[in-house]
Amino acid sequence: MKKMDLKGVVGLVFGNENSSSNEDSYVERLLDCISNGQLADDRRNAMAELQSVVAESHAAQLAFGEMGFPVLLGVLKERDDVEMVRGALETLVSALTPIAHAKLRANEVQPALMNTDLLSRDGQSISLLLSLLGEDDFYIRYYTLQLLTALLTNSPIRLQEVILTIPRGITRLMDMLMDREVIRNEALLLLTYLTREAEEIQKILVFEGAFEKIFSIIKEEGGSEGGVVVQDCLELLNNLLRNNASNQVLLRETIGFDSIISILKLRGTTYSFTQQKTINLLSGLETVSLLVSGGLETDPGSNNNRLTNKTVLVQRNVLEHLLMLGVESQWAPVAVRCAAFECIGDLISGHHKNLEALASKSLGDEPETEPALNSILRIILRTSSMQEFIAADYVFKNFCEKNSDGQKMLASTLIPQPMSITNARFEEDINMSFGSMLLHGLAMSEHDGDLETSCRAASVLSYVMKDNIQCKEKVLQIELESSMPSLGSPEPLLHRMVKYLALASSKKGKDGKSTTPRNSYFQPIILKLLVTWLSDCPNAVQSFLDSRPHLTYLIELVSNTDTTVCARGLAAAVLGECAIYNKSNEPGKDAFAIVDAISQKVGLTSYFLKLDEMQKSFLFSSAKPAQQRKPLTRSNANSMAEMEDIEENETNDINRNDDHPMLSSMFDSQFVDFIKKLEGEIRDNIVKIYSHPKSNVSVVPAELEQKKDEKDGDYIKRLKAFVEKQCSEIQDLLNRNSTLAEELASTGGGGESRCSGGGGSERVQIETLRRDLEEVSQRLEMVKSEKSNIESEALTYKNMAEKMETDLKSLSDAYNSLEQANYQLEMKSGGVGVDVEKIKEEAREEAQKESEGELSDLLVCLGQEQSKVEKLSARLMELGQDVDALLEGIGDDAGALNDDDDDDDDEED
Amino acid sequence: MSYDYLFKYIIIGDTGVGKSCLLLQFTDKRFQPVHDLTIGVEFGARMVAIDGRPVKLQIWDTAGQESFRSITRSYYRGAAGALLVYDITRRETFNHLAGWLEDARQHANPNMTIMLVGNKSDLSHRRAVSKEEGEQFAKENGLLFLEASARTAQNVEEAFLKTAEKILQKIQEGVFDVSNESSGIKVGYGRPQGTGARDGTVAQSGGCCG
Ligand SMILES: Nc1nc2c(ncn2[C@@H]2O[C@H](COP(=O)(O)OP(=O)(O)O)[C@@H](O)[C@H]2O)c(=O)[nH]1
Ligand SMILES: [Mg+2]
Repeated sequence: MKKMDLKGVVGLVFGNENSSSNEDSYVERLLDCISNGQLADDRRNAMAELQSVVAESHAAQLAFGEMGFPVLLGVLKERDDVEMVRGALETLVSALTPIAHAKLRANEVQPALMNTDLLSRDGQSISLLLSLLGEDDFYIRYYTLQLLTALLTNSPIRLQEVILTIPRGITRLMDMLMDREVIRNEALLLLTYLTREAEEIQKILVFEGAFEKIFSIIKEEGGSEGGVVVQDCLELLNNLLRNNASNQVLLRETIGFDSIISILKLRGTTYSFTQQKTINLLSGLETVSLLVSGGLETDPGSNNNRLTNKTVLVQRNVLEHLLMLGVESQWAPVAVRCAAFECIGDLISGHHKNLEALASKSLGDEPETEPALNSILRIILRTSSMQEFIAADYVFKNFCEKNSDGQKMLASTLIPQPMSITNARFEEDINMSFGSMLLHGLAMSEHDGDLETSCRAASVLSYVMKDNIQCKEKVLQIELESSMPSLGSPEPLLHRMVKYLALASSKKGKDGKSTTPRNSYFQPIILKLLVTWLSDCPNAVQSFLDSRPHLTYLIELVSNTDTTVCARGLAAAVLGECAIYNKSNEPGKDAFAIVDAISQKVGLTSYFLKLDEMQKSFLFSSAKPAQQRKPLTRSNANSMAEMEDIEENETNDINRNDDHPMLSSMFDSQFVDFIKKLEGEIRDNIVKIYSHPKSNVSVVPAELEQKKDEKDGDYIKRLKAFVEKQCSEIQDLLNRNSTLAEELASTGGGGESRCSGGGGSERVQIETLRRDLEEVSQRLEMVKSEKSNIESEALTYKNMAEKMETDLKSLSDAYNSLEQANYQLEMKSGGVGVDVEKIKEEAREEAQKESEGELSDLLVCLGQEQSKVEKLSARLMELGQDVDALLEGIGDDAGALNDDDDDDDDEED
Repeated sequence: MSYDYLFKYIIIGDTGVGKSCLLLQFTDKRFQPVHDLTIGVEFGARMVAIDGRPVKLQIWDTAGQESFRSITRSYYRGAAGALLVYDITRRETFNHLAGWLEDARQHANPNMTIMLVGNKSDLSHRRAVSKEEGEQFAKENGLLFLEASARTAQNVEEAFLKTAEKILQKIQEGVFDVSNESSGIKVGYGRPQGTGARDGTVAQSGGCCG
């Protein structure tokens, strides 16, 4: 201290040459005295002075590093003066401890770190330190442990490596756990540092019997009622088990999990939860969590290990203690209750037996018992803590995941009851079924304006229906009475939920306040319910669209800039589901109508952008599979124990347009994956639906043909109308195409930055559009050529018909003139004298002969025409035309011809 | 779960001699022809009956490579038994035995019981070390000896059990201070110290919970 006063503040600033050389020479003098001082007292004083100057001064720490280590390590080797050894160790601790008040400039080396590096680089000196742990002197062991802890704090990986190379190094440290209390506690801390993320060290500790020692200390110290030592023990225990399957197996197979479970057992004064007890319980809960949590993505070996852990824990009744902590104990702090729920959720996740075990658990004393799941639901609906809601919600999420029997069991109790019954005192009613409680919660907004409760119920309901078409259909049947039964008929639950969605987005709440962070999560949760519900469920889509305003509202929500990215994106997803899971044929409600509405009111590009933005939002990009919870350590334990509502922590700087942080736990990786997949399907299908609208004119070949009784003019008119319709349809397609192309162009132009992110899907979309464009223009070409074909064909028929008409006319003319000649001939012969009869006869014969010849010529000619007509008729018939109708115009002639024909036949006979 | 004694074993020897296979055969009663190279140390456990007494065996299978020696050495001192394994078809694994013994002598408890195992006895047609040589080496160095096959399970059970019998015998002779953890032996809870065998029916399965 004296020294510092002399030099003044300026001298302390590191980098001042003058002062640092002063420090150098002072430290050098002291070191010289330590190694060469004649009197033991001088040496001891020098050591004491060195220790204090190194503890206080930055520059001295630096100076010590340059020359001090060999001298002090020499003292440690000799060990003839206990006091000198203690002093040397204490000085080394100081040299490695950063000076709190010293301000470092940027890029400046922290001398304590440099000294750490110098000391830990040499395996020999670490060996030397470990050997000091065998000394009889308490302080020597104590300071040595402190020194090792300082080394570990500054440079954990280096020291972990060095210690592994020293034979029996870890064993020596482990032995310290059997030492007197102060040393033992110090050793616990040291081992905690040593085992952080060091698998091999963890295994060696366990080989050395760390589990037994830890549990015996915990027991000795009173379990969860014990002090900070219990906390340290549990932190070490957790280090040994974290991501270490081998150690988990060893614990399970040799010691068992009972010791862990007994830490969670509440005993004695269960209404008192001190801070320390809270931390101890949280640590114990973390132990359980380490044994059972984790995703399925890891290797099957560790997955099996985790399943076995779950089995054994539940066999050993861990659920009872967890339910005690989470549900039954009224005094357990929120943090403990939440952690207990998370453990329950993990224990049942993917484990059929455990799911059943939870479903069959009842809480409370006879006769006032109720299923544990009902109690948990009540907490979800009632708790004032956001965290507790999230944690309890996690239980239901895991309970329903891939558990269709469980879902059906829960859904089977969803039976609406008259308002009068459900209205009253549901909170106290232990006999209420799960379904009644849930429905009551869902209806809360209606009579109490309690949107939050309804939202939470909606979250649970979405789990009950997830991936379960039967449950979705069942819930679709549910109708709720309106709050004022006189005013309206019951409405479907689905419609009620949309109503809440609209309520949640109205800026002013019932108290006139604008949207607070707290209720900014309402919308996303209700939207999550709708997305889950409508997925792959055409009936739900139908029911949703049954009310016209729903679609309008949804479209508004998608483009509403006042709402959050996530709400817009989810609304877009629901809208997409209305199109792709739409089985309706009703115009205005079918898939085409939805897609048209999207393209007209939102614009396809802008619509897809909403989905894109959601994927890029923090909720979606930060969702990692099976996030590991943050380890509880000495440094964060207090804040973890005093868990506060997210809302309170985040204060007011949440932007109204940002998504609520609590959503990140509701939007877990499964939901994010689900949305990703859904988005892909929506993109594919919407473009497909849009570019292939339902055709008004279908190209059925038969319709192109002339109808049987159709007159040419009509036929041609009809064809013309048909072609016109197709033309307009082609025009429509072209318009759509140009819309798509424009959107494409605007996306390409404005979206250079998007090339990296959405580039893939964009390219796919462009590709699809291009293919569609090609298809449509091909179709256009086809229709055009078809049209000209039809026209030319029609012309041919017309010409043919005309020719036939003239043929027939000349034929009948010929016949008429023949008849005329015959008649005149008859008249002539009738006017001749005596031999009239004879002449008449002759003449007739002659005439008959003559006319017969002419007739037979005519007949041949007629026959030819007839067969021509027949051929033509057959041909027309083939073509599907009504020949009779076609021939109507020339029918009279044909009829006369036929009559004559008959006569001729008679005459011939 | 309750046992009279708990013994800690280590398995040592060159890489590829079949250490991991021997452990797997003993704990899971199966042979896995393609086995991952052991990194560091792997753990296995099984309850057995020795002289009718339930004994829990905790076994640490070590990596044979030189680079893991410093890690695996940490396991020597606390082990009551060791299986020192060589491969009868690979002469060099037999030649390295002296080095392994040297290591053990240096780091292990002097009372550690060592069982020399000549593994892969099913491959006797490719034998490179005779049984007599193995016997001779064991005799010279005071080791137990067996030839075994992790593949056919021949003598695998025996290798672990004979070692345990020997340790139990040493305990009864008072060689060990069983209260000292570093002996690799633990006395079970509530075991009547010194009295004779009790009801000796013990499940011979790998772990209670599979
Ligand atoms: N034929 C035969 N092969 C074996 C036997 N034991 C192990 N192996 C094979 O030897 C190789 C090395 O075995 P492993 O247990 O990994 O050796 P480690 O390195 O000592 O653990 C593997 O390919 C095994 O299949 C045995 O008893 N007989
Ligand atoms: Mg191996």
